[in-house]
Amino acid sequence: MAKEKKVHDRVNWHKEFRLAPGYIILSLWVLFTFVLLGWVVGASFSTSKEIFSGAVFKFETGIHLENYAKAWNTSNVSVFFMNSLVYASISCVLLIVICAPAAYVLSRFTFLGNKLIQNGFVAAMGVPATMIVLPLFGLVAGWNILNVSLANRAVLIFLYVGINVPYTTIFLLTFFSNLSRSFEEAAAIDGCPPMKTFWKIMLPMAQPGIITVTIFNFINVWNEYFMSLIFANSDKVKSVAIGLYGMINSMRYTGDYAGMFAAVVIVFLPTFILYVFLSEKIIAGVTGGGVKG
Amino acid sequence: MFDGAALLHLIGIGKGVTRLKKNKTMIVVFVTPAVVMFSIIFLYPIIRTVLMSFFKIEGVTDAMSKWEFSGLANYIKLFSTELFRISMWNIFRIWFFGGIIVMGLALLFAAILTSGIRFKNAFRAIIYMPNVVSAVALATMWLQYVFSPKFGLFKSIGKALHWEWLEKFQWLDPSHLFIALLVAYCFGMVGYHMLIFASGIERIGTEYYEAATLDGANRIQQFRYITLPLLKGVTKTNITMWSISSAGFFLWSQLFSMVVSNTQTITPVVYMYQNIFGAGNSMTERNAGIGAAVGVLLSICVVLIFIVCDKIFKDNDIEF
Repeated sequence: MAKEKKVHDRVNWHKEFRLAPGYIILSLWVLFTFVLLGWVVGASFSTSKEIFSGAVFKFETGIHLENYAKAWNTSNVSVFFMNSLVYASISCVLLIVICAPAAYVLSRFTFLGNKLIQNGFVAAMGVPATMIVLPLFGLVAGWNILNVSLANRAVLIFLYVGINVPYTTIFLLTFFSNLSRSFEEAAAIDGCPPMKTFWKIMLPMAQPGIITVTIFNFINVWNEYFMSLIFANSDKVKSVAIGLYGMINSMRYTGDYAGMFAAVVIVFLPTFILYVFLSEKIIAGVTGGGVKG
Repeated sequence: MFDGAALLHLIGIGKGVTRLKKNKTMIVVFVTPAVVMFSIIFLYPIIRTVLMSFFKIEGVTDAMSKWEFSGLANYIKLFSTELFRISMWNIFRIWFFGGIIVMGLALLFAAILTSGIRFKNAFRAIIYMPNVVSAVALATMWLQYVFSPKFGLFKSIGKALHWEWLEKFQWLDPSHLFIALLVAYCFGMVGYHMLIFASGIERIGTEYYEAATLDGANRIQQFRYITLPLLKGVTKTNITMWSISSAGFFLWSQLFSMVVSNTQTITPVVYMYQNIFGAGNSMTERNAGIGAAVGVLLSICVVLIFIVCDKIFKDNDIEF
């Protein structure tokens, strides 16, 4: 028995040795990523002077939490942060309300135009933003409402939702087609009307798919840049991505590197934390329910 | 083993037809919101953009009655503008060289990940991570830290390894800015394409490899003659996705040209943005039709690449 185990161990070591080049390559890449993030976090607790003298991790003058306070309050990061949080949350809810019923019907019933809608949605996922931004801007600018911050916010959320409708629908469609029809049949036999069946039975059953696609939508809206840059008209309604860009721009004149890195960390953190807890689900979503080429 | 649910499923097929008629309202109510959103955000703008590209239009908000038909003039104008030609060349360089680098690294990493190493999930998760975080934050880290000539990471690495060329290399110098942009962008993109390749490799049955091992093929031969040919479908997916993200290349370009404004990093989307929405410092005439033509050209490129890929990678056995 013991002998067998020994043999097994030796074979394993041989295997690990053979894989050594692979370990080295991946470890170097991962190390680089860690140094990149670690240094930026370190710098955000440091001072601009220490950053320039290369003494980021010595913390000779203590840990400077005030960088965060400064970025959060005086540099408006709190405003951008709350804006993005509101935009992303509302968009995620609306996307499920709009796309889940459509995905269900498209996956379950054959009707005129079903295939056409599906193909249209798949094609829309490959359309560059340049192809749609001009008429949309013309439309919205023509209403003259971008000066009102509430209307501006509504326009942004409408755009975030619209851009993500095709992806969300197709993702949920694949998910619904993998659910067995037997549940609806059982519900129909018990006299449950189809719409009620959807809300009470099918939607709760699609919960894993809904959660995954909502994570993706949240990340997409949080990181969206092009549309926000064009449609967000004032500092009051800017999202984090645009706000950070503006900050970095002005940072060139103030030279407050520590404050800038603190802002970078604040913007970076929400989706990063989401990822730390949900990386398995996110990765499964990328490869499983993704686009059909 | 008889499955009750399967029986119900069988009955359900017959009932589906009658159920469909009853549920016409349900179909309409459920599908309309999504289709309306799709029409407003995609269908209507795409059609209008195509039309716009054939007209001379003073302002983006102008009504159609004010448009002035100009045929292909916008396209001719674009191609005779040097800055636009440079921007097209830049996006081609990003797509082509960046594509080779990203696909090569992604395939290498995917092959390593699926070779039976430990900590596979941790490696995979960390390499994919840059795709999840804000690209503005990521680009800032590269620009302000990694490439910094004063306290940059590459400078420190060069110093530690006594590689003078790396220590002295001025990444943010106008003549090197494109390389810097390419390196930073590729770093973030590898993870996504690696995931697609890795899941493609995982779907290949182990029996192929067992048979090959019996026939005496080594790992490299197995990779060359089994893995690669069976990855046609996922390669198509990867190239398509890479081309789509290249066509929309904007954020990285804008952030990198912030340090030094130059022609090294301008892309068509940036050109269009400056032309239509910019402060108007470099552009002489305002014509929304030109912006529309840029969008149409980029879309044509994506469609062409898609068609070519479809022809080359005909085998669709494994795809996502």
